[in-house]
Amino acid sequence: MSSLSRSVAIVGVGYSELTRAGEPNPRSLTLAAAKAALQDAGLNGTDLDGIFEYKFGPESPGAQEVARLLGVPDLAAFADIFPTGPSGLASALVGVMAVASGACETVLVFRCLTRAAGYQGGAAEGPETVGGHEQFLTPYGSGLYVGGILVDVALKKRRWMAEYSRPEEDFGRIAVNARRWAVRNPRAVLRDELTMDDYLSSRTIVEPLRLLDCDYPISGAVATVITTAERAVDLRQRPVVVDAMTYATGKGADWTFDTDFLYGGTFDCAERLWRRSSVTLEDVDVAQLYDGFTPVTVSWLEALGVCGRGEFGDWVGDGTRIGPGGDFPLNTAGGQLAEGRLHGISFLNEAVLQLRGQCEDRQVPDAKVAVVTSGLYPQCSAMVLTAE
Amino acid sequence: MSADRRPRPEPDSITKFHWDAAADRRLMLHRCRSCSRFQYPPDVTCVHCQGEVFEHVEVSGRGTIYSYALVERPLHTGFVDALPYIVLLVELVEQPGLRILTNLVGASPGTPLACGMPVEVDFEDRGPVTLPQFRLAPTTS
Repeated sequence: MSSLSRSVAIVGVGYSELTRAGEPNPRSLTLAAAKAALQDAGLNGTDLDGIFEYKFGPESPGAQEVARLLGVPDLAAFADIFPTGPSGLASALVGVMAVASGACETVLVFRCLTRAAGYQGGAAEGPETVGGHEQFLTPYGSGLYVGGILVDVALKKRRWMAEYSRPEEDFGRIAVNARRWAVRNPRAVLRDELTMDDYLSSRTIVEPLRLLDCDYPISGAVATVITTAERAVDLRQRPVVVDAMTYATGKGADWTFDTDFLYGGTFDCAERLWRRSSVTLEDVDVAQLYDGFTPVTVSWLEALGVCGRGEFGDWVGDGTRIGPGGDFPLNTAGGQLAEGRLHGISFLNEAVLQLRGQCEDRQVPDAKVAVVTSGLYPQCSAMVLTAE
Repeated sequence: MSADRRPRPEPDSITKFHWDAAADRRLMLHRCRSCSRFQYPPDVTCVHCQGEVFEHVEVSGRGTIYSYALVERPLHTGFVDALPYIVLLVELVEQPGLRILTNLVGASPGTPLACGMPVEVDFEDRGPVTLPQFRLAPTTS
């Protein structure tokens, strides 16, 4: 029994083509992903009454535009959610809440982004004077106008290594793991295996943060269809039920001055998730954990309780256990590090495909329970999904 | 010599005391009158107890490196001429968890650094404003 007021299921997942080159039209990408998700569910645009989008830049079409493109007769609820949320999963979380509450019956959620969104290298033009909170960051070469959260994440990586006396290789395990799975995912854009030496010799973006600590920018769209568990029974796919969900910010929510500098809200998020869930960590068959930067994935693993704070390196060993055939399969599509940066919804979709048994070469045998996390530090969220 | 193109803070009614003090070569923070805790950055309320009455207090300017990062590639056009620079997160001695983001000044590139090293406040003029910055503290041993 789900902890939500009305049981909610994920019934359709869809992707556009994911590409590294060219400048595909964001509307075409979004339409392709939305149609694929609807087809997967066996539904049409006329079945939808809610659309929620997570928006990073201005490039992706909004909920109303997508409603028009898909021939949706009317929307009972809709929103374009801005990126102060827990990454792209925010749109799915709002979709789940809309269905659980009865505000909507069947919703489409999506994320479309192109390589131009987010930091890709190079110096951005910025303001000469800065007010508000940023006045304590920008003049020192960090913050919103100076690489976004890159410096913060570099500071967190350094502090984690110092606080726990751990080597950089711990983060390299996450980067290497992503490619080991991506080799088995035809959608992934980076499908060459990596060695630890490759990781350790990749250039620094902001030292100690390396290129291979960071997700890989692509152009693409991802979409998901969500409805009641009751309705899901009659649809095309094996229903995957949302067992529990939550957001978290942690105390003193901030990128730089957060109370828990290394973990932000991940511990609050995980503790609440497990409290609400009908299953425990021991029941999890597959984990899809946000990997915008490798220190983020480490923070999620420790918060979820696979090991204590700072013990990730000892827990993960040579990385076998999080790879194909391991006892804790992690980011089986290759995550944003290798499948490509689609923000949180791609983790949700991969979890759904795993629980349906549709992942072919990378399928985790008999997967029944998945945990999905999205976002990082002050912008966290998580879900537990179960196969019916 | 070209002008310093690095961005400058825009003081407001809440933050002006901090920047004004820096111009006088003093590191001044605000402290909540209800719970007596320091807060950085200054804000409209105390994030610990939600008190709204603060006093402005000069602090010692001593602390330790909580973390640091080296920026070698430009992220913002204003810093192109300032590369490389080191961003420091300093934990001040006055209160556990009281941290301030600054740059390391007065150290040549390649100076060995580590979390926990003692640092002390310094001040840097940037056009019409002065910024608190930190330098490595002299070792006493």
